[in-house]
Amino acid sequence: MIRKSLQKIYLALIFILLYAPIVTLMVLSFNNSKTRAKWGGFTLKWYRQLFQNEQIMSALYTTLIISFFAAGIATVIGTAAAIAIQGMKQKWRTLYMGLTNIPMMNAEIVMGISLMLLFIALRMTLGFGTILIAHITFNIPYVILSVSPKLKQTSRHTFEAAMDLGASPLQAFFKVVFPDIMPGVLSGFMLAFTMSLDDFVITHFTKGPGIDTLSTKIYTEVRKGIKPEIYALSTILFVSVLVLLLLINYAPEEKEDGKTKRKKVKRPSKVKMVVVRRVIPAVLCLVVFGGGIYYATRNQMMNGDKVIVYNWGEYIDPEVITIFEEETGIDVIYEEFETNEILYPKVSSGAIAYDLVCPSDYMIQRMLENGLLAEIDFENVPNVKYIGQQYMEQSKQFDPENKYSVPYCWGTVGILYNKTMVEEPVDSWGILWDEKYKDSILMQDSVRDAFAVALRYLGYSLNSADLDELNEAMELLIRQKPLVQAYVIDQVRDKMIGNEAALGVIYSGEAIYTQWENPDLEYVIPKEGTNIWIDAWVIPKNAEHKENAEAFLDFLCRPDIALKNFEYITYSTPNTAAREMIEDEQLRNSKVAFPDLDKLPEMETFRYLGTEADGVYGELWNKVKSK
Amino acid sequence: MSNKLIDFVNITKSYGTQTVLDDLNLYIRENEFLTLLGPSGCGKTTTLRILGGFENPDSGHVIFEGKDITNLPPNKRQLNTVFQKYALFTHMTIAENIAFGLKIRNKSKQYIYDKIKYALKLVNLDGFENRMPDSLSGGQQQRIAIARAIVNEPKVLLLDEPLGALDLKMRQDMQYELIRLKNELGITFIYVTHDQEEALTMSDTIVVMNQGYIQQIGTPEKIYNEPENAFVADFIGESNILPGLMLEDKLVKILGVPFPCVDEGFGRNKPVDVVIRPEDIDLLKPGEGSIDGVVTHLIFKGVHYEMEVMANNYEWLVHSTDMFPVGTEVSIHVDPFDIQIMNKPESEDEEAVNIEE
Repeated sequence: MIRKSLQKIYLALIFILLYAPIVTLMVLSFNNSKTRAKWGGFTLKWYRQLFQNEQIMSALYTTLIISFFAAGIATVIGTAAAIAIQGMKQKWRTLYMGLTNIPMMNAEIVMGISLMLLFIALRMTLGFGTILIAHITFNIPYVILSVSPKLKQTSRHTFEAAMDLGASPLQAFFKVVFPDIMPGVLSGFMLAFTMSLDDFVITHFTKGPGIDTLSTKIYTEVRKGIKPEIYALSTILFVSVLVLLLLINYAPEEKEDGKTKRKKVKRPSKVKMVVVRRVIPAVLCLVVFGGGIYYATRNQMMNGDKVIVYNWGEYIDPEVITIFEEETGIDVIYEEFETNEILYPKVSSGAIAYDLVCPSDYMIQRMLENGLLAEIDFENVPNVKYIGQQYMEQSKQFDPENKYSVPYCWGTVGILYNKTMVEEPVDSWGILWDEKYKDSILMQDSVRDAFAVALRYLGYSLNSADLDELNEAMELLIRQKPLVQAYVIDQVRDKMIGNEAALGVIYSGEAIYTQWENPDLEYVIPKEGTNIWIDAWVIPKNAEHKENAEAFLDFLCRPDIALKNFEYITYSTPNTAAREMIEDEQLRNSKVAFPDLDKLPEMETFRYLGTEADGVYGELWNKVKSK
Repeated sequence: MSNKLIDFVNITKSYGTQTVLDDLNLYIRENEFLTLLGPSGCGKTTTLRILGGFENPDSGHVIFEGKDITNLPPNKRQLNTVFQKYALFTHMTIAENIAFGLKIRNKSKQYIYDKIKYALKLVNLDGFENRMPDSLSGGQQQRIAIARAIVNEPKVLLLDEPLGALDLKMRQDMQYELIRLKNELGITFIYVTHDQEEALTMSDTIVVMNQGYIQQIGTPEKIYNEPENAFVADFIGESNILPGLMLEDKLVKILGVPFPCVDEGFGRNKPVDVVIRPEDIDLLKPGEGSIDGVVTHLIFKGVHYEMEVMANNYEWLVHSTDMFPVGTEVSIHVDPFDIQIMNKPESEDEEAVNIEE
């Protein structure tokens, strides 16, 4: 009895473990609140917004089309290969099977990089074609793997029997062998399709500007937090796959039932067969292709004048691009990245000639030092005059002569605290070391941000490379560790909104948003000074459409456009004219969004410290984390 | 029987270093039930596959109705094969299986329908049209495989150990079935088997093969009663094969004892092989026969008793309806016409081999 119930409990536990994440996601997709922490009532608005979000929809269709074609072509090639391998002598068969399995065993990242290198070496433009080829390549082994066992089961004699009865080899294959291995071919196709559907690594390395699959699209959004539309999309995908699986399992198939003797095998009714085998797949194809063509035409294939823009995920109002294209006739090919460290090799390798890129301060310095940037011709960017002078001053920390960059967004790092939990006035980093707030402090899980806090608190520069200073900062961080509830990145926002912590280190752009959601939260810049970060537009040296890039840059500096972007991104804009146009007085004068730089304590911008110092930081941070 | 329908001319075939057929010559007449008989690896299946078009000989020709078909693909040959494992198309119904060849040849619907009816009737499986192959017993599947082949009206039906997978009773039933079919259809059957009983029961002509060579061609009676060499004698039925010395015409010395026989023309004092079938040995009282001995083994086999008799240092295999308990002293007697004299094999290839079945 006890054993029985234990078994049941164990089974239940397994299923809970398996499905809890999916259920959470599905529930959240109906959550009326934008944060994960609060349940704001039931809503379908994310689903509505999902279908209105052209970027996501076009990424979805790109994904579906790539997966479909990659799986289809891989299935044809893989099936043919499996047949050929099956016909080989044992010795060769083993060898070839081993060879075809290698791409599957190989680390995806190795595949991705080597494919990218190959495409560059062959002077192929990275884009739809290269993604497709890459996907076909890694799909083929999966098809071979699922077709081969079926082929082994199929006796060679049926093929010969068909030939014997007058069928040509081709007829014999399609009428007799193929139906036999069909289940293997189908499952190979499905396997390849799903592998393609959620591949990130290989797609990431082989994609070009202007094209995104779902996985790369979602990943670019990591910096600003994943949008609830994505929950909705994931839910739809999950349900579709579920339905597909049910269909496949429900599909009429004669299975030998051991118990019934000499039963009369009933053929499934014609109608059912037709519906399951023909109508449903046809409808699926129609939806995929119809939608694909619809979005492809809306995305307009490029014809001549264009500009290739490389920006952070979720870092521009999509409408801004549309307006620019309508006004100038220049097509914007838009690609997104998720960290500065990913951007750098992509630009420096020269694989893609980007025209306009938006890195952060220290990365601009590094690119400048390595001679990757072109001087901007400010004759073509008259609107630069709307950028506040103090921001241009601040930029000199990484672009000493203001020749290479134009600030786009900026912000500070400070402390977000909950007024109901912290009664004393907060004005120093020191409060993060106060025993009172044990287990309700959130720290940034990033080397430079964490050390910046400690270094500033100690009165040192946050760009310090002095070993003694750094060691001191490390000791301080280790001392703080027992008090810290968690080291996180974008969860600071949600946890603070959900009243899960009292104090958190946060970016000012996020702070504005959290205050909208939870009025108890207050943002301060500690008196010891902090990091001011600036993301700015630069033009790489190998840009092929420099004038278009300058035109787009000028357009972005136009006050009405800058305002549109500010409202979309909510990160502080350096565009003073745009700020004047903000209707909400409170926001316009917000000390969080627009702190007065002159009155603030010493502000520093992160600088690139070189690989050696980077190493030291990494090592010390590891010590902190592992203590 | 009439003309040559099929002629194998100097066929040689090897896989890698292993020669499977060595300069094989064989003709098959119209309307014949010919069986290729031999142990596994003797080349009988290869011969059939070369005729079916599934293998190409390394050298030599296959002539069909006077035309060289050596390089013709299987789908262009006017013959059909019934495969060892039936090779039914499992995703098709019985009717679809039978209709396969006819559909390929674009026959009319009515014609196909009639043919299916006819073929199912012929193999005694009326009303099985809509069943799936998996739901049939082995014997039924075999009959469907035959039906599928014969609806195409081939001139020759090739059968590759078709009864190998069936149980004994079913096998015997199917043997009669095949003979009946052969007579009704009036076409040539070429049958491959390693089962000598099948071969003896059904064939007009038996071709005994071993290691790529034809050992003997003849009617079942001739093959059984007058094996040309020790291999054939050993392979067909059970026998006592003894070394002998032909003293003169009609007298052979076996185990030191002279036996009168009916064979002539071997010369004097010529070493030969002697075959004596176990059922041809009569057991008499001690002293009454040619050699005296003692019964050492006794097994009841149903139709007869199988005994081993130790006489003159040789263990004689004896079949008899009379029982002699172990230890009984007996005397062996063989009638002269039951003694079969064969030449000693000239080459190693013709040497009798141990047959594993």
